[in-house]
Amino acid sequence: MKLIKKQIPLAIVFITGVLTLVSYYVPHKMSVNYIETINKWENIVVAFAFLLGLVSLFFSHYNKISRKVDGWGYSIFVFIGFLAMVVPALVSQGKQMTDTGFTALGWSYKFIYTSLSGTMFAVLAFYIVSTAYRSFRIRSLQAFVLFIAAFILILGKVPLGQIIWDWVLGWTGRGVNDVIEWIMQVPAVAGKRGIMIGISIGAIVTSLKIIFGIEKQYMGKD
Amino acid sequence: MTKNKLFLFAVLVIFTSGSVCAAAKKAGPAAVLPGFTAEDMPYDAGEAVLLRWPVNPAAAAGTAYEIYVSSLEAGGWVKVTEFDAAAKTGADIGLPFWAWNGTKDEHAVKVELNNLFGNFPPGAVFTCKAAVLEKGALKAESLPATIAPQGNWFRLDRLNNLIALLGLITVFFWAVSHAKRKGLFIRRIAGLDAIDEAIGRATEMGKPIFYVPGIGSMSSISTIASAFILGEVSKKVAQYDSHIKVPHYDPVVMTVCKEVVKQSYLEAGRPDSYRDDINHFVSADQFSYAASVDGMISREKPAACFYMGHFMAESLLLAEVGATSGAIQIAGTDVEHQLPFFFTACDYTLIGEELYAAGAYLSKEPMLLSALKVQDLGKLVVMVSVFFGMILVSLGAKFGWDGLVRVVMDLFKGY
Repeated sequence: MKLIKKQIPLAIVFITGVLTLVSYYVPHKMSVNYIETINKWENIVVAFAFLLGLVSLFFSHYNKISRKVDGWGYSIFVFIGFLAMVVPALVSQGKQMTDTGFTALGWSYKFIYTSLSGTMFAVLAFYIVSTAYRSFRIRSLQAFVLFIAAFILILGKVPLGQIIWDWVLGWTGRGVNDVIEWIMQVPAVAGKRGIMIGISIGAIVTSLKIIFGIEKQYMGKD
Repeated sequence: MTKNKLFLFAVLVIFTSGSVCAAAKKAGPAAVLPGFTAEDMPYDAGEAVLLRWPVNPAAAAGTAYEIYVSSLEAGGWVKVTEFDAAAKTGADIGLPFWAWNGTKDEHAVKVELNNLFGNFPPGAVFTCKAAVLEKGALKAESLPATIAPQGNWFRLDRLNNLIALLGLITVFFWAVSHAKRKGLFIRRIAGLDAIDEAIGRATEMGKPIFYVPGIGSMSSISTIASAFILGEVSKKVAQYDSHIKVPHYDPVVMTVCKEVVKQSYLEAGRPDSYRDDINHFVSADQFSYAASVDGMISREKPAACFYMGHFMAESLLLAEVGATSGAIQIAGTDVEHQLPFFFTACDYTLIGEELYAAGAYLSKEPMLLSALKVQDLGKLVVMVSVFFGMILVSLGAKFGWDGLVRVVMDLFKGY
């Protein structure tokens, strides 16, 4: 049992990991074909796994409806939404457009799905405002630096802000756009690169831990 | 009579030879471009060729080159590119000094044959030529050169990368073997120390914990790291007999997380508390997922929310709703442009590498903890390299040491 549950999966991980790593240094067509094959396999696995996800979704919401838990009414909309997209897709044979215009699927996609997605994305603007308000409450030195940087950026992005800057600090000979450019190109990029270097090294070490079987929590313990 | 015939013949010969010479002068062959060669492009999959010929320092202004390639034995020329005589030299080929000897004294043009002829069989032969144009008129042409591109087995240009990787692997194994003998000091990470507090709070309040693994697939390192953290978090949840919910974006991640959570409950000695719907699929669409999880957080008012993994625009949508619902929030992602949102909306945030380290930190397994030292060492190497690289490049630029600048830049460049 240990062979099937531990050793074989670890061997698969090791062989696949090493081959994928080696393919980075081998430009040959064979290596390119290997990566393409692995990607195809991944897509096939994901497609089958999506069915699992669908079953899980239906099972979870069916339970909520049958047990009448709080907010069970919302679960009905999962099934309504599913049917609202799947039935038109079947009727339209997967086509969104014909010579005469939108099919039922195209209409559902454009006027239901895209509208709802757009609405959700638009909500982000309000959340950014409320988050900005929270972060502008200066409680530490770091928060103060954040506030100053954000304030200059906001000031520079509106004409009124530029006028105020020129009126108050015009004598320095530096426009607000110069300051914004410096903030974006120097401290922001320096911080970002520092984080990215840490992330890259962390990713390499995590990959090595997985390839060499040192990190195997994802398959449970012995 | 004979004299007249001879005179006519002589006149005819003169006129005929004159017209022949004139015709030859008008459509005569162009001069030959010397030194033109076609080679297999090194370090590729066998889909490109490299054309080289010496730079002509005496080329007049307005001189240009045209490159032609054919897949046929005769004719069938396809024009690849046209460029000024001063452009495309050996120094413009983006390869490091240890893998390429091209200089500014020669032209070097890489021709991607698959872009021109699609997929071609191995061993296919191509013919290449270059034409010299002066103010639009053909002045010289190279002799056709044939080449059969071959796939290469090693990217010599990535040798610097390979050496760095081998060094890292060596240190990695040293650290892992060292960990078996001695314990290692690991600095405290506030966000991870707060996990106990968050779960304890949820237990006291009798409210659920939301663990959001993000929208990454299982091939994303941050999602894998998130699965490790989920294992440790759910073990503590099982020990405290609290209640955790894990809404998923990716069905494959859901399947893996189910196993992870089940195993954690088993290890905590609470297999009876495990329910199959702890992990549930929500949607594979970004904003549908965000809307659904937001709805759950708003309705159920969890005591704690964990956002660990790969996040994009939904990061703030989730974290802000969690913050307004009053939950203690701990986030971690390796997407650096989402970090500010988590910083402002969450109580604790793990930055990139801390997310990767979290599984080891929480499990406290010596071998996993020792790997963190490799990360630290890697950062030290980068810091030292950046420091000295900066000094050397600055000195090189100041005193015009182009060779030194090129060596330093090539050594630390990715190919």
